[in-house]
Amino acid sequence: MPLTALKNRTAWMLVTMILASSFVFFIGAAGASPKESPYTTSRYNAGTPNSSIVVNKDGSITAYGNGAIIYTLPKTSLAALGQALYATNCAACHGDKANGVPAHSSDPRYANVRAGNYPNLRGVGSAAVMFWITSGRMPAAAGTNVQAVRRPPRLTYTQALEVAAYIDSLTKTPGLPYVPNVNLKGGSLSTGASLYALNCAACHTITGDGDALASGTYAPSLRNVPANQVVEAIRTGPGNMPRFTGNLSDRQVRDIVKYVTGYIQHPQNPGGLGLGGLGPVAEGFVGLALGVGLLCLAAFWVGERQ
Amino acid sequence: MSDVAINTKREKKAQLGRYGKVGHVLNEMDDRLGVAKGGKTFMDKIFPDHWSFMLGEIALYSFVILMLTGIFLTLYYVPSQAVVLYKGSYLPLHGLHVTEAYASSINLTFAVRGGLLMRQMHHWACDIFVGSIVVHMCRVFFTGAFRKPRELNWSIGLTLLTLAIVNGFLGYSLPDDLVSGTGIRIAYSIILSIPVVGTHVAFWLFGGNFPGTVIISRFYILHVLIIPLVILGLVGGHLGLLVRQKHTQFKGEGRTEKNVVGSPMFPIFMAKTTGFLLLVGGVTALLGAFAQINPIWQFGPYDPEKISYAVQPDWYMGFLDGALRIFPAWSFHSFGYTIPLEVTIPAVVFPGIVFTLGYLWPTLERKYTKDNELHNLLDFPRDRPKRTAAGAGILSMLFMLFIASSTDVIANFMHISLNEVLLIMRVLVIISPFVGYIVTYYICKELQGVDGASQRKTPNIVTRTATGEYVAVAAPKNVNDQHVELEAVPVPNYVTSDEVVEATTSGVRTVER
Amino acid sequence: MSEHEHRTPVVFSTAHENDPHMQPAANNPDGMERRIALLFVVAFLLIVAFGYCYWVNAKAWTLGATMGGALFLLGVGLVAWGKYLMPKGPFVEERHDFASSDEEREAFAATIVERGGGVVKRRPVLGGLLGAGLGAFSIAALFPLLGSLGPRPKDTLDKTDWKAGDYLVDITGRRYNVNDMAIGSILTVFPEGKNDDPQAQNQDQVVLIRISDSDFTTQKGRENWGPSGYVAYSKLCTHLGCPVGLYEKKLQMLVCPCHQSMFDVRNGAIPNFGPAPRPLPQLPLKLDANGYILARDGFNQPVGPGYWERK
Repeated sequence: MPLTALKNRTAWMLVTMILASSFVFFIGAAGASPKESPYTTSRYNAGTPNSSIVVNKDGSITAYGNGAIIYTLPKTSLAALGQALYATNCAACHGDKANGVPAHSSDPRYANVRAGNYPNLRGVGSAAVMFWITSGRMPAAAGTNVQAVRRPPRLTYTQALEVAAYIDSLTKTPGLPYVPNVNLKGGSLSTGASLYALNCAACHTITGDGDALASGTYAPSLRNVPANQVVEAIRTGPGNMPRFTGNLSDRQVRDIVKYVTGYIQHPQNPGGLGLGGLGPVAEGFVGLALGVGLLCLAAFWVGERQ
Repeated sequence: MSDVAINTKREKKAQLGRYGKVGHVLNEMDDRLGVAKGGKTFMDKIFPDHWSFMLGEIALYSFVILMLTGIFLTLYYVPSQAVVLYKGSYLPLHGLHVTEAYASSINLTFAVRGGLLMRQMHHWACDIFVGSIVVHMCRVFFTGAFRKPRELNWSIGLTLLTLAIVNGFLGYSLPDDLVSGTGIRIAYSIILSIPVVGTHVAFWLFGGNFPGTVIISRFYILHVLIIPLVILGLVGGHLGLLVRQKHTQFKGEGRTEKNVVGSPMFPIFMAKTTGFLLLVGGVTALLGAFAQINPIWQFGPYDPEKISYAVQPDWYMGFLDGALRIFPAWSFHSFGYTIPLEVTIPAVVFPGIVFTLGYLWPTLERKYTKDNELHNLLDFPRDRPKRTAAGAGILSMLFMLFIASSTDVIANFMHISLNEVLLIMRVLVIISPFVGYIVTYYICKELQGVDGASQRKTPNIVTRTATGEYVAVAAPKNVNDQHVELEAVPVPNYVTSDEVVEATTSGVRTVER
Repeated sequence: MSEHEHRTPVVFSTAHENDPHMQPAANNPDGMERRIALLFVVAFLLIVAFGYCYWVNAKAWTLGATMGGALFLLGVGLVAWGKYLMPKGPFVEERHDFASSDEEREAFAATIVERGGGVVKRRPVLGGLLGAGLGAFSIAALFPLLGSLGPRPKDTLDKTDWKAGDYLVDITGRRYNVNDMAIGSILTVFPEGKNDDPQAQNQDQVVLIRISDSDFTTQKGRENWGPSGYVAYSKLCTHLGCPVGLYEKKLQMLVCPCHQSMFDVRNGAIPNFGPAPRPLPQLPLKLDANGYILARDGFNQPVGPGYWERK
């Protein structure tokens, strides 16, 4: 019997489905929020410590920049405060000595905290520390995620600086690069857009929405990343992101940041609803559901239904 | 009397005859063209009223909109790969050297009044055009409207679908933006993959190795002239055959293989269909106003070394892209020659098989069922379970391939590994035609078995007899379940308020709902 | 009149105005008329608004909204007029067989087979020669047409511009020193002098990746191809030729953004997932006296997607 009902109401069910699905889609597209739910499965070993990364021999990361970005070393006086913050927030995984050997590896409560899963932080440079902490990715939610997610930061900006100062104090010379501060005045949007297409779009997509990559990793959306974090990410290459040092000058990085914070984060959509930047997939869906769907409904009204 | 001037209006009117100026013009036309008889027949042509017969009109009218908006676009678009300095209003492109094709597309978007709207309407109309052809073809297929004598029109329709897809791809490529340029690169590689002749065909089409300097102008002339002309001709043939062979119709009281029941062309159908044209235009314009499509300014110009992630073709090419994604890396290499099976099979052989099957289906079905009769009455899909199930199976597979074209988007939204999504899609694509077939087949069988499947349900009254037995008895029919229906009559030419002299053969019949 | 006798006579039928077929479908036709009139009036106002928006060059959506709204309302009104206010019918027309009579069919077939075929049969040599001539013409006409469309492929696809001693330069033409890139960096490079030519950009594009700080061997037989941890692969995907620009540093994987083929950077860019059938060809590198990176040799195999003549 339900099948008879189905037949009589097929058309109306179709109507409801089209409308409901387009509604759901619009909600989804409108609320294309950054990822909040962390990965819960452990598929990937958090990998090689990145302390072996060496930046330019001359000690300056600027290849031919001129004040487009100013790199500042956090004040050494902050290190003492940073030590306490480090002990409570970071040491569990990265280890008391910040060498990537967890402090409590023998404590059963930290059973999933295994040695070797965590990066050695010695000499990573204050820019890297600032990136991970101010983007809320560190302290991470659970022991081993495929990839840490952007969240509201747990530590304040000053606290992050203190931790950075502490980590800098652990090595003879502070790691590079220092905390960047980008000056967007005078940058070229078109150079930025061009460089973005060449260097960034392959992962983050040309509209900056990000997408899934290999083995559960993903390129995050750039929609709400502050300017200095963009610089930090470009210069330090967090996680799976490649590192851009001598192959992008400070001016070029400044141009990219100007484009990202200007047009990626505030895209010009004179043509109407931006459809979540998903491109032809979303467009096809709207074209079929709203375009063809609405017109089928219109046909349904124009014609007879017997 | 000849010298008496005719000067009063009434006299002039009388001179013109019973139908006044209109009649006069019609007579003059008939003197020269002989249109009266054919015109009258055409005005009397009956169009079935069922809504599913309007689906093809969506396609026809979106093609009208494509032509109108397309003409607007040709006035501003420059099909050239010459490099120019962009100096327009969109800042992230300011001062870049881009192709004239890209620069003119950007300019017609930002600098031409109404240009953006026309571009978006054109693109939305294209999505609707192809989509409505597919929906229309589903109706034709599942109701058996393609059977003898209409096999030729089915083939024309399938050709129109192919041309619509090809022309959609060509048009999508014209702005020379990053996303569409990647699409052309992929198309080039697909052509290369054809055994023996592939490289030659690719070099002929592109004037050499990719990217070359001629492809935009060649795509342009194909897109705006050659293919539209062919489409226009085939649409003419499609409609001509429709008029010649007359419409099919669903079974029902008073409907036979020998008649058509519905509304006459003039004026009823004409009002409805013109209104429908305006509706299609309205929906397209509203989409163009509120939903942004293909924002080429955000994509930037195409350069061979640049690429964006999450790039998909327009939806109607999605099944090809999906097939390319999920097909295993099976390249054949022997005797110094290579057949890139990983491309040839999903992108050349597979669509070839699907479309050939489409062309051959009417013949195959006629052979298989040994049914060589002319059919003007349509099947209900449930009455032909094998055909319906086969169609559903093929559609399921194509749909799964379409889904497979966005493996990355699915992985991103559902937070699962891209690798797993791809493996799942491989399985789904392989099993989907069988599942689609079996499920549909049994649904059809089930629907056939239901008594009075199209009738209104009547409640059963269950009573307990003295012996304790339960008996279900159908409730008596409700009087409201019966309604009076008119029998169809030929379209009258005259409507009179006089005594009915020659009564129409109108009878009434009572129909159970 | 006699020549018209065989035609179907024109049918004049008359209906009485009270005939139920001639009544409108609407229960309240006057009310429906008022509603349709309202639609038309609003549509008219929207068209006026469209004209105004165009005149003052208002935003794009206002043009679409007014035009779309007007068309939509006009359409609804016109359909409603036809559907609710015109005679509701139903009407019928007969379907006349369009197949011809047996005599007509036979006459037609006879014309083709006897009259036409007979002529050819009587002069078979002429028919054959004409066919041969037309056939030869079409083939002869086809070749110049296709031939002028583009050059013959020859070995275009087998080769790139890379040769021993070419410096690697980025899109701006800058050479790269061994100290310029940190570990985990990626850069798109071209042979020097070719960085500004789209044709070369397509065929010659190479990704330069630094994966370690000491010489790196990606495969046996490539021992000196990766000085100071720099390795270079063709950027053209071996599947369909998309630029493989997606580099995952921790996984050491190059991913094609188009169809997600994944190449293992540490192991000769062998594809370990997705549809790509072959590894990305590796460009052997060396350093000059000043530490600048240049090509030790060209590619040892064709780059990019497969094709018939690929050896």
